Amino acid sequence: MRKRPTFVAVVSAVIIALIGTGVAVPAEPIKLGFGMALTGALAGNGKAALLSMQMWAEDVNKKGGLLGRRVELVYYDDQTKPATIPAIYTKLLDVDKVDLIVSGYGTNVIAPLIPLAMERNLTVVGLFGMANNEKFNYGRYFQIMPVGPNPPVDWSRGFFEVASKQSPKPATIAIVGADAEYPHNAMAGARKNAEQYGLKVVYDNKYPPSTVDFTPIVRAIKATNPDVVYVASYPPDTAGMIFAAHEVGLAPKMFGGGMVGLQFAALQTKLGAKLNGVVNYETWVPEPTLSFPGINDFLKRYQAQAAKAGVDPLGYYIAPFAYAYAQVLGLAVEGTKSLDQKKIADYLHGREMDTIVGKVKFGPNGEWAKPRMLHVQFQNIEGNDLEQFKRPGKRVVLYPEEWKSGTLIYPYAKARK
Amino acid sequence: MKKGLPLLIAVGVLLAALVATRLVGNRYLYFAGYVIFQYVVLATAWNILGGYTGYVNFGTAGFFALGAYTATVLILAFKAPLPVQIVAGGLVSAVLGLGIGYLTLRLRGVFFSIATLALALVLQTFVMNWEYVGGAKGVSIIRPAAFPPFASYVEFLFFVMAALAVVSAMAAWWIENSWVGRGLAAIRDNEEAAECMGVPTLRLKLLATVVSGCFMGVAGAPFPYYVTLVEPVSAFSLDYAVNSLAMPMIGGTTTWIGPIVGAILLSTAQQVATVTISSELNLLIVGIVLVAFVLLAPQGIVGLVQRLAGRRRA
Repeated sequence: MRKRPTFVAVVSAVIIALIGTGVAVPAEPIKLGFGMALTGALAGNGKAALLSMQMWAEDVNKKGGLLGRRVELVYYDDQTKPATIPAIYTKLLDVDKVDLIVSGYGTNVIAPLIPLAMERNLTVVGLFGMANNEKFNYGRYFQIMPVGPNPPVDWSRGFFEVASKQSPKPATIAIVGADAEYPHNAMAGARKNAEQYGLKVVYDNKYPPSTVDFTPIVRAIKATNPDVVYVASYPPDTAGMIFAAHEVGLAPKMFGGGMVGLQFAALQTKLGAKLNGVVNYETWVPEPTLSFPGINDFLKRYQAQAAKAGVDPLGYYIAPFAYAYAQVLGLAVEGTKSLDQKKIADYLHGREMDTIVGKVKFGPNGEWAKPRMLHVQFQNIEGNDLEQFKRPGKRVVLYPEEWKSGTLIYPYAKARK
Repeated sequence: MKKGLPLLIAVGVLLAALVATRLVGNRYLYFAGYVIFQYVVLATAWNILGGYTGYVNFGTAGFFALGAYTATVLILAFKAPLPVQIVAGGLVSAVLGLGIGYLTLRLRGVFFSIATLALALVLQTFVMNWEYVGGAKGVSIIRPAAFPPFASYVEFLFFVMAALAVVSAMAAWWIENSWVGRGLAAIRDNEEAAECMGVPTLRLKLLATVVSGCFMGVAGAPFPYYVTLVEPVSAFSLDYAVNSLAMPMIGGTTTWIGPIVGAILLSTAQQVATVTISSELNLLIVGIVLVAFVLLAPQGIVGLVQRLAGRRRA
């Protein structure tokens, strides 16, 4: 009991001494809160996104943090389930008292977040959601995916733009996709683009998501003899469609468009040379035209950690953008010298920002002001070696013109050889 | 149990929920509490058919989603208020229950279960191709503004779900303690014998499917305002089917209190796991607890407590 006064005195003396000598007591960290798909259907990309965000936090903290405060990530597994979002973000805001929020990965987990952000006037940056703000038109929502101001149509615009410039110009199209959320959106946009670019739709069908044998579907498409085949598929179907196209000998003038999965090493190495000629969407590829400051260093560090983290070893599609969406938020905090949600939103609306994915400028609806969804063609793929996909010339950029790095091999059959 | 006691408990729970909305400032608790009460309704509803009658329903998600989509249609078409959505959701699901009952109650055991599972799949496929409710991509819903005495609409949702839990529990209590419950128990024990003894088996089974389906639909009706996105994968989630079956199994299927105990324990554990262990361990927790109870306490927690109390008395 006698020792207590001595202990209190020592502590008090230390505090007084610290204040007296001007030693800074560490400030509270700035907390960035989010839910992320660490399990469930989108866990592969969710984990890659988390790794990128941790790298961003590490980089920021090495430079002294934001506003002189350390950045701390507070996150929960949203299990790729929209129903978990209201509770997770309410806990982040009311219990964990986070200062800033960003979304998890994917359209369906962003959708329930926007009304919640609207109720509290929060700024929210989304990670790869399609047309989430179409209904809400919320002024403090921003989307890092470079689709552009009119997401459903801009998503496939490049594919049709490339097709329209070929000679002989294609006249007919088959549109096919899974009976699920993303393919529905992509197919709706493709129909509008087909109309705009004067392509006659000769086949327009959905298949059940559980389909495993795609041969009958491809045979039905082949029977309509389309010039272009636009496919909106999830990874297992993407593989199934490409295998079936080779088996059946489907050889339109252009093939691909909205196939999910071709952005990742797993399917690239699985399909190998069968990918030659396929034209598909991308967000970033290792082409010289897309060598933005900082991205190669980021990818080098990411790839070194990818195997341990159990994520896509290449990391071209989602990882740089997951870094960038935290990066723009950080730039806004530093730029406004504030955590005020309105000031941050105004900052994000007003200017072009330098990030590792290039210059980012948001339009009035929070989407990229100018579309930059890439359309690439797989060319000169040999065997199933992963390393080749790290080299330029394997996925040449055809669209947009500003980032073009090669020419389309046309028709598809020629590139397949 | 004294006749007035359940009513007192019900009023007590409702008052506690109302007082909670006045005293608790942490909105997270309303979201978590909403989910717990939602599972109380679902587990109780499942138990009316599965526990009392012995017909295992794997189609909970179908009835739940039907309630959710009925509410969605009413919101989109008429901006109908929540009480109207709940009544409509319950009625539509009850009608579906009646129809399914007529079609499937001649099937028994695993065949009935498969039929209910197929029902959920058929409904999901239908909804995925119904563009008015957003098809496969779903539709976003904006919550109405809060109104007194509730500070936020989520508080109101929490209170409404608490009230629905109370109503469903009272319905289960009434069934259990009436001639209906005795008839259902007779069907569960030996349907042929019950029929021979003059129990109107088909009528009682239909009543059970109607009441069970109705409460599942009622539980789904507030879902659009809770999550603000209604899409088929979430609305028809397997979680609802698994949890609504596991909760009565864990709590005990022969009494009205069993599903409530199971729902509170299991869904609280799941809510805690979501923000602590933070993974899809939710279903793993359900699986492990379910296996443990099936092996160690097949009558559930209530059965275990009754057995221990019986031993002590002896």
